[in-house]
Amino acid sequence: MKIRNLVFFGCILSLLAARSAPAQVPAGRGDRPVVSFNPNISVVIDTAYYWHSSDEELDHVLEELRGFGHQHNDGNDHDHGFESGFNLREIELIFEADVDPYFKGWAIVGIDPAGAELEEAVVLTTALPWGLQVKLGKFFSDFSRLNAQHAHEWNFTDQTLIYQVLLGDQGLNEIGVQLSWLTPAPFFLLAGLEVLQGDNEVAFEYHGDGPLPERDGPRLFLGWLKAAPNLTGNHAFQAGLFAGRGVRQEEHLGPEGHSDPGSHYLDGHQWIWGADFVYRYTPPRAYGRGAFTLEGGYLGRRADIELTAHNNPARHHLLGNSLVREQDGLYLQGVYGFAPRWRFGLRGETLGLTNREKKPSGVEEKFDPSWRASAMLDWSLTEFSRLRLQCNHGRYDTAEGKENVSEVFVQAVFSLGAHPVHRF
Amino acid sequence: MKIILNTLLIVALAVLTFSNGARAGSQRTLNIVATTPELASLASAIAGERASVRSITAGQEDPHFLNARPTYMVMARDADLWIRMGLELEVGWEPVILDGSRNRSIRVGQRGHFDAGAFIPYVLEVPDATATRAMGDVHPSGNPHYMIDPYCARAVAIALADRLIDLDPAHADTYRDGLKSFLARLDRAMFGAGLVERFGGDRLWAAEAEGRLWELIEEEGAEDDLGGWRGAMRPWKGKPIITFHKSWSYFAKRFELVLVAELEPLPGVPPSPAHLARVIDLARARDVSLILKEPFYPVRPARFVSRETGARVAVANTFAADASADGFFKLMDQIVGAFDE
Repeated sequence: MKIRNLVFFGCILSLLAARSAPAQVPAGRGDRPVVSFNPNISVVIDTAYYWHSSDEELDHVLEELRGFGHQHNDGNDHDHGFESGFNLREIELIFEADVDPYFKGWAIVGIDPAGAELEEAVVLTTALPWGLQVKLGKFFSDFSRLNAQHAHEWNFTDQTLIYQVLLGDQGLNEIGVQLSWLTPAPFFLLAGLEVLQGDNEVAFEYHGDGPLPERDGPRLFLGWLKAAPNLTGNHAFQAGLFAGRGVRQEEHLGPEGHSDPGSHYLDGHQWIWGADFVYRYTPPRAYGRGAFTLEGGYLGRRADIELTAHNNPARHHLLGNSLVREQDGLYLQGVYGFAPRWRFGLRGETLGLTNREKKPSGVEEKFDPSWRASAMLDWSLTEFSRLRLQCNHGRYDTAEGKENVSEVFVQAVFSLGAHPVHRF
Repeated sequence: MKIILNTLLIVALAVLTFSNGARAGSQRTLNIVATTPELASLASAIAGERASVRSITAGQEDPHFLNARPTYMVMARDADLWIRMGLELEVGWEPVILDGSRNRSIRVGQRGHFDAGAFIPYVLEVPDATATRAMGDVHPSGNPHYMIDPYCARAVAIALADRLIDLDPAHADTYRDGLKSFLARLDRAMFGAGLVERFGGDRLWAAEAEGRLWELIEEEGAEDDLGGWRGAMRPWKGKPIITFHKSWSYFAKRFELVLVAELEPLPGVPPSPAHLARVIDLARARDVSLILKEPFYPVRPARFVSRETGARVAVANTFAADASADGFFKLMDQIVGAFDE
């Protein structure tokens, strides 16, 4: 909490500093251009109204999904989960500048009513030869297009089910190093390798205390490949493949915590893998009319974790046996600009086409898939403001049976300050 | 799992093998990438056979709203020289492409990065310190649609030739010759061969810069020699027109048109009925006879104003359609032609 407060005050201070800096006075010809060594600063305000038909928020329903279970977001105050009613989802402060001829850097701080958190603090090399680039610091992993996007850049208000359930609301956002290589191929072919600390609360949970062994970081390794053919005209396509492996530890605590007779501890590894693609058509028309984006992806995981400790001596014969979780999910979404500034989107998702669990006792269980369908309508008044209405309907396979949940979002996103970039 | 790893490995190996061969042949000529076709066209005209020149945009889309497609990063990766319009026209995507290209020699400030907007003789509509986003898509360094003023294009060409010589001094003569023939062609296209023969291009452009071209022509009684774009646009001198977007300011300044209003209420904001009603009143009051619109803007608002006022809708692009040496001239011919009925 203290660190959070520090970050928060730091942000306020730097904003004040930026305000008191001399304003850029446009100069006439001859003595221009005006140069500022201050970082580019922008602020994104992301708010939403949320309604759902279930007894509890969808986040809690997802925590009870059979097979995917064990989703505790404890310690992760800064999640993007929605509460009924008005939500100040996030205020994002973005500072970006060249460091020197060799590096550029940016820091992104997310603030929500629970506090402030550093979302990204990145240094990127700009002068390495042979198409190489190193990114270091805290960042969203680039293993997939979706994971690298910030919440306000998504084409839908909420994260896809499979990413939310397997990676958590924040996705893979880790401290570490990334090496990427733009290959000399005649088309776009980018390969990346990431070595990350592995502190994700959901996918690569790590405790390293009590009965769970300490494992030195970095604990998460990812590799990915992105390719895009040289399409002509207004078409663009990119596909990606990725895989990664990291330490995963689970604490299953009973009602009395560590002293509970039912509490047990598992330690092992988890693989994740998958693919994604995006196709974009940009018509020769103004205001996004006729623009079309189709994107889809697959994400799977296999966790193989050993029972290392059990408070109940009657279960000690199972120590050393493995719990194996195999789950996956798919999404496909399309967005079409049907009028100037207006877009309509549809998204379909399934979760758990593969949904198996092998317990340490050797018992194997299979669970049903869940699915969700979403429709979205948004209106961007300008590049800097967007209003969105989104409806979801899903059917979830939870421990308490099949549950149907409908959701409605009314979202408003505003960006202030430096011009936002148009990432692909 | 294994399949994915193996695929990664095989692809990496394959790339290493065939890419070495693919690049070897392109070492000899300069690789130039420009953000728009008219900039590419100047480079083609000056560098000729010495360079392979490509443009990021195809001239059909609004370059302001482009996405940083992966293909552009590959183009930038291979570039020896990157040419941009500047004045924040490419602000939304250029940084993403330059970072993604991992090409350190074309980053902003390097010799391989040519910011054309920094070399034009004057900049229009530089907002003052009170500018905010509430004024629409205002470019903090000024209006970036300067290439449709041939006087600006001329300045860019001269600076670009210098940069090419700087980058590739061994072929300085090629670039000097290229520039010379480009300028000669531009002189004739702008003023007509007769006028150029009589006064020489330099004297005409100097008169143009001082705003005393008509004076010169009148003093010397050279009316009949005037041709080219200047000649074709002469009947429009002082005439009021309406444009869709604020992209015609430089053209209007050069050819002495009066811009009465834009169909967009603010730059980048689509026309609203209330604003169109105001535009119609203005157009009637000022007796506007022409509405200029780029092809990528919707035609309906322009037609509506046309119906109400009797002004003619002319469609003309402010971006060239082709990156060859002819591209810039075709662009200007196309614009000037649109004024003819």
